[in-house]
Amino acid sequence: MSQTLKKLRYKYWPDHIFGEILQKPWMETAVPLIVLIFTIVFFSAQIDNFISANNLSDNFRQAAELGFVVLGISLVLIVGGIDLSVASIFALCNLLVLYCMHVWQMPLIGAVSVTLLLGAALGAINGILIGYFRMRAFLTTMVTLIVFKAIHDLLNVKVAVAISSNFPDSPAWDRMGYGAILSIPTVVWAFGILAIFTHIFLTRLRYGWWLLAVGGNRRSAYNTGLPVNRIVALSYVASGVLTAASAIFYAARLASPGADTGKGLEITVLTAAILGGIRLGGGKGSVMKAILGTLIILLITNGLLRMATPAGTSRIILATILLLAATLDIRWFKNRHKAVQELYVSPALLELPGLSKDATSPDSDYAPNERLHDVEIIGLGQVEAPEDVVLDEDDNLYCGSRHGDIIRFFAPDYKRHEVYARIGGQPLGMTFDAEYNLYVCVGGMGLYRVTRDRKVELVTDETNRHFLSIIDDSRLRLADDLDILPDGRILFSEATVRYEMHEWPTDALEGRGNGRIIMYDPKQNKTTTVLRNLIFPNGIVVASDKQSILFAESWNCTIKRYWFEGPKKGKVEMVIPNLPGYPDNINRASDGNYWLAIMGMRSQVFDLSMRKPGFRRRMSKQLPGDEWLAPNINIGCIVKFNEAGEILDVLWDRQGINHPMITSMREHKGYLYIGGITNNRIGRLKLDDADETYVSSGKYHVG
Amino acid sequence: MLDNLMNWIGSFGNTRSKSLSVPVFDGALKPNNLLEEAEILVEQPGLNDLARRDDGQIFTASANTLYALSKDGALTETMTFDRVISALAFMADGRPVVGLGDRIVLAPGSADERVVDTVKGRKLVAVTAIYRQPDGGLLVCDGSDRHGVDDWAWDLMGKNSGARLIRIDPASGDATVLASGMAYAFGAYDSTETGILVSESWKHCLTSVTGKKKPAVDRLAGYPSRMSLAQGGGFWLSLFCSRTQLVEFVLKEHDFRQEMMATIEPAYWISPSFGSGQDFLEPLQGGGVKQMGVLKPWAPPRSYGLVVRFDANLVPLYSMHSRVGGRNHGICATVQDGDTLYALSKGSGRILKLSVHTVETTLLGGAAQ
Repeated sequence: MSQTLKKLRYKYWPDHIFGEILQKPWMETAVPLIVLIFTIVFFSAQIDNFISANNLSDNFRQAAELGFVVLGISLVLIVGGIDLSVASIFALCNLLVLYCMHVWQMPLIGAVSVTLLLGAALGAINGILIGYFRMRAFLTTMVTLIVFKAIHDLLNVKVAVAISSNFPDSPAWDRMGYGAILSIPTVVWAFGILAIFTHIFLTRLRYGWWLLAVGGNRRSAYNTGLPVNRIVALSYVASGVLTAASAIFYAARLASPGADTGKGLEITVLTAAILGGIRLGGGKGSVMKAILGTLIILLITNGLLRMATPAGTSRIILATILLLAATLDIRWFKNRHKAVQELYVSPALLELPGLSKDATSPDSDYAPNERLHDVEIIGLGQVEAPEDVVLDEDDNLYCGSRHGDIIRFFAPDYKRHEVYARIGGQPLGMTFDAEYNLYVCVGGMGLYRVTRDRKVELVTDETNRHFLSIIDDSRLRLADDLDILPDGRILFSEATVRYEMHEWPTDALEGRGNGRIIMYDPKQNKTTTVLRNLIFPNGIVVASDKQSILFAESWNCTIKRYWFEGPKKGKVEMVIPNLPGYPDNINRASDGNYWLAIMGMRSQVFDLSMRKPGFRRRMSKQLPGDEWLAPNINIGCIVKFNEAGEILDVLWDRQGINHPMITSMREHKGYLYIGGITNNRIGRLKLDDADETYVSSGKYHVG
Repeated sequence: MLDNLMNWIGSFGNTRSKSLSVPVFDGALKPNNLLEEAEILVEQPGLNDLARRDDGQIFTASANTLYALSKDGALTETMTFDRVISALAFMADGRPVVGLGDRIVLAPGSADERVVDTVKGRKLVAVTAIYRQPDGGLLVCDGSDRHGVDDWAWDLMGKNSGARLIRIDPASGDATVLASGMAYAFGAYDSTETGILVSESWKHCLTSVTGKKKPAVDRLAGYPSRMSLAQGGGFWLSLFCSRTQLVEFVLKEHDFRQEMMATIEPAYWISPSFGSGQDFLEPLQGGGVKQMGVLKPWAPPRSYGLVVRFDANLVPLYSMHSRVGGRNHGICATVQDGDTLYALSKGSGRILKLSVHTVETTLLGGAAQ
């Protein structure tokens, strides 16, 4: 009963998505969002009609006005600066637009343009001083705050009466202040459009990325060739323009040339931005954060006002909330990766068929022997981590290395070697097409091609994204092995979408179907995923009917067959259900059968742990990786099997001296060449009664 | 306060409140390869214990047979028993005392041969070690109240604590229980400075049973086993395996442990071991994966070889190791004769021979006497 429940729980409860969701960048906004929800809940409980249409409309009108300024200051903060002068710019622009409309009776467009220009000009003063003259943002904007305010005060005395005694005759102007479209205030529309644009600008457009880059690290941005000074200056201009826009809507609504206009605005908008989670340090921030911050501050202010809280008290409450929210946000910002660490690794229940006790007894199919003990050693100490080996028509030997190179050993004695191509990622499965272009799966990079004249070309590093995927599974993380199909397409395996190449032990611990098989079609230059939720799919080889492939699922200890063509197209069938070890690459043998590398052997204890996901989850959290229980990959063997799943032959290095972990083998002209990803040598074994003309790679054209 | 709270919460299940850290090899325990490089004097499966007769003759117990060991490694059969010898010592008069699993035989073969199989109403179950006190009394370790000598892994994984330390007076044959309720007892030692000490293996400590029972040396980096007298004061402590975090973790995992014990043979459990590396069905830990053909010596050990020299004040002076990847693991008995130290590696079935002077010169340099 409890066993059934456990099975159901691990089958249907998506443990793995919590860590994935938490890993998303937008989870940074979690704290401000929670604060906002709390604010709303609190005030709705305290105040009647807090969420009434009327009240909301009023709140939104104010929020949008404030939002312009917050957005402006956010841009400045993202670049790593600060703009205190917004309050004075706001006041001056308010005065100007009122004078234009009331006294000069200018048309709306003209008045708005002039005001925006003034905002830009005032912002530009800040921008030039800070961006080009390298003055301190805080001091500079504080000075301009005072200067602009002084100018405002001087002008205000002279023009206030004139403004108050004239009224513009402009319905458009009134609509800006009070109007609504679809019962949503005009100003909210304006702000909404601007916010969407700014969001796209920051997240999707080059210039937005420039802002983030400069804020993130000014020196790096400079070194990559960004015009840092100009970007900084322009952010202040943007802030000025947005402040002017806010002032215009404010003027249209209140038409008041008061001496106190904009007083304390810089504190309010800074508070909003920081509450929203925009860092003072620069390089981080989003429109969503600016909006959330604005809403929080406005709701709290208005809510406290409506609860008739004395001004002093309400300010103290506001300050306390700000302090708490900021602390919480910093904690969250700093520790989110720990939470991800806690939740990301989520072992699944994997019940392998029982490991038969005498699977490796002397009279079993897999009876250990010493036939790999006397291999010829190639390149000992000259190559590190040759996951796969392949030979060309002149018998030269190619293998990958963990330094990101493809190494070529020259026939006939394989004593000399050279770097054939530099790729940059670790080459895994390799194969030649008929023109002897080398196709290679590169861990962390995707599928690549090294042409005959040694040019390294990207074949594909992207596939279609699954509609349910939370992590971005369109990128290839761990392309593992491939084979070229007779029709020129390529099928390759991607071992896991959840971990990077060097984190494969964690995927072994998880034992979940994180991998997939992907088809690359060169005719349409299209890459599509054909099979998913495979448990570490590894070796791939085209079967004899040329309509199907055989593939290995490492942690599942199985060999399966998948039809990509013909009447059984799309079907998957089991070939070997219960291997005593973890299968890796598969390749053709000269007699029509298949060679299979077994990278390590199962142990009863590891099998038991695969049936205990909770055990593995706690182990992964409480112990360092070196202490984890691991599949035994210190010994492996090579097996020959046929399509019926029968084991025909087995080769062991029982002491694990030359080949502790075998990840691949390739038959070529009577010899078997052996590679291993944790090894520093390649083995070569003379095969008895093998076809001495047989070449395993270089059969089909790609395209 | 928070720690206490977490401990309290942790007592309801396996949370991370209990630390899984194990002591590191540092200071006097700094790893070396002296045991691995030591001269192999004897190689024979089934070796179990070593003892020195007062006239300087060394004896070893292997399977059912008691052998005399010559200085060049030749074994001379001295006595044979109907069961495996699990512990060996010599009385002051030069006659042997052997533990045969669930019984002790004093002066076997002689006219006044005496067999003890019950002490204070409880049968002996696992006689793991016998030590002769300076006054001639025999300290007998009865490792478990339910698992025989070879089933020690069950005792560890079952978290038993039914071991006893018994004193037998060789003259009268009177037996007294000095301590009970210990988590395995695998070696004893007595001197005027230290009082009576017992190796309480599963607690990784040497427990003092003179007066109130309390740990004398705790937080050992391995599982202590037999002790033997060292010349110049103090003693040699052999530790038959070093600790790993994984074993500590498994000891917290009730469900996993139960199923492991019920379905898997002890040789393949996650547990310490006398020897390893010969069978690929044994569990492997992440750090033990061979990289570029090399097994890292710092990898988490399944078995390990370790002998520590303690002085009379229970201060560890130096140690000899056979690290991961070596063969001379599972050292469970030592005996010193003059400058020569014999160490018995149960994991590899070997008796090793080291020169104490050379070891001290190597490890301590000019400080050696």
